[in-house]
Amino acid sequence: MASSSEAATANSEGHAAEGAERRDFLKMVTLATAAVGVCAVAWPFIDSMNPAKDTIAAGSPIDVDLSQVAPGQQIVVLWREKPILLVNRPAEALKTLQSSAMINRLRDPDSRVLQQPPYADNWHRSVKPEWAVLVGICTHLGCLPQYFPNPSANTPVADWPGGYLCPCHGSKYDLAGRVWQGVPAPFNLPVPPYNFLDARTVRIGENPPNVTYSLNDIVQI
Amino acid sequence: MAELGLQENEFKNPVVHWIDARLPVFTAMHKEYRQFPTPKNFNYFWNFGALATVNLAIMIITGIFLAMNYNPSTAGAFDSVERIMRDVNWGWMIRYLHVVGASLFFVTVYVHIFRGLYYGSYKKPREMIWMLGVVLLLLLMATAFMGYVLPWGQMSFWGATVITNLFGAIPVVGHGIVTWLWGGFAVANPTLNRFFSLHYLLPFIIVGFLVLHIMALHTVGSNNPLGIDVKGPQDTLPFHPYYTVKDSVGVCVYLIVFAILVFFIPHQPLLMDPNNSIQANPLQTPSDIVPEWYFLPFYAILRSVPNKLGGVVLLFGSIFVLFFLPWLDTSPVRSCRFRPIMRWLWVLFVIDVFVLGYVGANRPVGIFILLGRIATVWYYIHMLIFLPLVGKLERPLPLPESISKSVLGGGALPSAAAARPMEKA
Amino acid sequence: MRTLALAAAALGLALSALPAAAQETPPLPRVFWSFEGPFGTIDQAAAQRGYQVYKQVCSACHSMTQFHFRDLAGIGYTPEQIAAIAASVQVPGPPNAQGQSSPVPGKPADAFPSPFPTQAAAEAAFNGAVPPDQSLMANAFEGGPTYIYAILNGFRNPPPGITVPPGRYYNIYFPGNLIAMPPPLHDGAVTYADGTPATVPQMAHDVATFLYFVANPHADQRKRIGVHVVLFLVFVTGLTYALKRKVWSDVEH
Repeated sequence: MASSSEAATANSEGHAAEGAERRDFLKMVTLATAAVGVCAVAWPFIDSMNPAKDTIAAGSPIDVDLSQVAPGQQIVVLWREKPILLVNRPAEALKTLQSSAMINRLRDPDSRVLQQPPYADNWHRSVKPEWAVLVGICTHLGCLPQYFPNPSANTPVADWPGGYLCPCHGSKYDLAGRVWQGVPAPFNLPVPPYNFLDARTVRIGENPPNVTYSLNDIVQI
Repeated sequence: MAELGLQENEFKNPVVHWIDARLPVFTAMHKEYRQFPTPKNFNYFWNFGALATVNLAIMIITGIFLAMNYNPSTAGAFDSVERIMRDVNWGWMIRYLHVVGASLFFVTVYVHIFRGLYYGSYKKPREMIWMLGVVLLLLLMATAFMGYVLPWGQMSFWGATVITNLFGAIPVVGHGIVTWLWGGFAVANPTLNRFFSLHYLLPFIIVGFLVLHIMALHTVGSNNPLGIDVKGPQDTLPFHPYYTVKDSVGVCVYLIVFAILVFFIPHQPLLMDPNNSIQANPLQTPSDIVPEWYFLPFYAILRSVPNKLGGVVLLFGSIFVLFFLPWLDTSPVRSCRFRPIMRWLWVLFVIDVFVLGYVGANRPVGIFILLGRIATVWYYIHMLIFLPLVGKLERPLPLPESISKSVLGGGALPSAAAARPMEKA
Repeated sequence: MRTLALAAAALGLALSALPAAAQETPPLPRVFWSFEGPFGTIDQAAAQRGYQVYKQVCSACHSMTQFHFRDLAGIGYTPEQIAAIAASVQVPGPPNAQGQSSPVPGKPADAFPSPFPTQAAAEAAFNGAVPPDQSLMANAFEGGPTYIYAILNGFRNPPPGITVPPGRYYNIYFPGNLIAMPPPLHDGAVTYADGTPATVPQMAHDVATFLYFVANPHADQRKRIGVHVVLFLVFVTGLTYALKRKVWSDVEH
């Protein structure tokens, strides 16, 4: 009888060990499934902090009527909470943009750094030379650069060719938004996606057909 | 290692060991939730405290995310809730989780309370746990009341008006108190703003009292379905893994109920009064002002007295009387399993609460007036007369010798054990 | 003991589901909706017809300020259709130099406009009985879309002995029977784009479907996700219960 009870004990020990293994596997599977469930529940909460549908809708493209903007005049509109500068550049201003005196002052005259869409990758950084469309956020620390379009011997600074002067720390840009050398701002002003619907209406926030570009693509806002 | 005041501990992991020596959280968790000797004979009614805690966590998390988009002004509240439902990613789900969670919170808490009543969990040495529990119930009711005002629907506004007006029944200072609560001449923007602030605050006060509630529990140990004391380690199991896994089963079943309500029946007929889909209008009273289901029994008690102050006194009295339960009940035996009369009175009490709820859901006309009064009187008779009297007059059944013996034997022991003196509660 | 408590609970729940008090209105008819039940979905064709009814009939008096044109994507309209629909509706424009706004064509981001510029103007036009906003109408009354359907079909000549004051109309389903809305629908009031005959019950059913969508735009998604969630939870419950049995297998209980 001793041998059968020994056998019985050995049997039950074997069962216990097997049971423990089975319990560990079951425990692992249960915990893993529960972990998957927790992650699946966590995602909606995290996603709820992403922009809501109405916020995204409010950031839809806006149409701007340029018919009232005279040569030399700038208007500012808000798109996606950012100031967009629209300038009617007269012929003298366009000549200055191409002059070697101007180009020699600039940090990135050929717009090598990606701060603009492919259709603004030119000397006037825009679709039409006479219309500048720029994001009015200084690439230094985010202030709104002030518009001083007229060349002047002393205003706002000595020997001013025309362009933008940022009031916060003195960064300077030309009328195509290209940044000067020797100023704190590192990059040219960004160009937003935009498309001319007709001669006098521009849609900010939408590219011309067959172009993909968004402000997320640029190096720095 | 006891030098420098460092706590000695036996954790092998060096990071855990270092932390625990300076802040013994791991030792505490090990003692309170791993080793903690728990009676081995719990039934599934003992899950409901853990379920209520899980529910509290869900309410706090969903509430914080709702608060990211909620606008607590009378001009913007209703629209901000609609924005959450329509435009915020998953906003509809977070909102329904919060609404369903509020109702299920009361389900778990009420079952938890009825369990305590049946098994005598309020009796010595657990009076402190019980009284902290009553405080938690009051805090929960205040939180739920204020939360319901926030969507600023018709029922939000009129329910707030009716309930805040109750305080006007207090003699002399009543009107001043109501004006102070309102922050104005009626429920309006100042009221909504402060309710939002307090609704955000109170759940964290609840967490604090919950910690005290559990500390008091861990000081004396849990009750059990037999109501008899733990005699030794043979009567208990370590909390982990036995009750962690059993509570997990309960949580899973609970989440299924939660999910069915959130995803399939968030609206009528159970939840979300239709009137609250209409923006608050101080110039138009809905034909039926009804609180959410979990307040209906108290609403019925309030309306059963034709006198305003009397109704308010009986309403708050019905909760305050719970504080005194450990002393109102005179029985030497805890669990109704061994109390042949009180177990039926408990059933009648549960039915009485449901009858009160039914009365509260209906207009106070016709049969409902009489029914409400009978049910209110019964409630107070149960608390103030039955509990003291029946405890003294009843002859309890013989108690088992111990939990483990009972589990092995399957019930009360034969006559030899009946001769043992009755366990004192 | 536990069964008794459960029986008490069931009794209480059953009692509280009974109607609150006797109404003079007949019980609502039994109407079938594509979206009823745990697996029902909103019939997009019906909802689109309902939108047509809403636009041509209801929007003359009712606002729907929580609903935006872009939300129409939920009943199957394409972005181009939505842009065209929005452009066909006049919404308040930005203020001019004098601070006045004049109507401009709508854009998808715009909300459905109210027919009246201010609450005061609406009250003046309707003698105080302002038509309620429709954004949540399908949730705001017992019976939901069935209630809307019943009201739209419920206009009758008043029975003998009942005088209907001017500005009110007799409706058998409206509590109190005197509703301030004149019967808005008559057969053929709208010509459906898909050719469905536009009878009053058909239009009432379609517009109620549309209003249900407006009040519950996520209903279909919610039920779909719900099926997955409940199935997952049932699976996890099974696993957890098996684990519980294993853990407790060495304990008498």
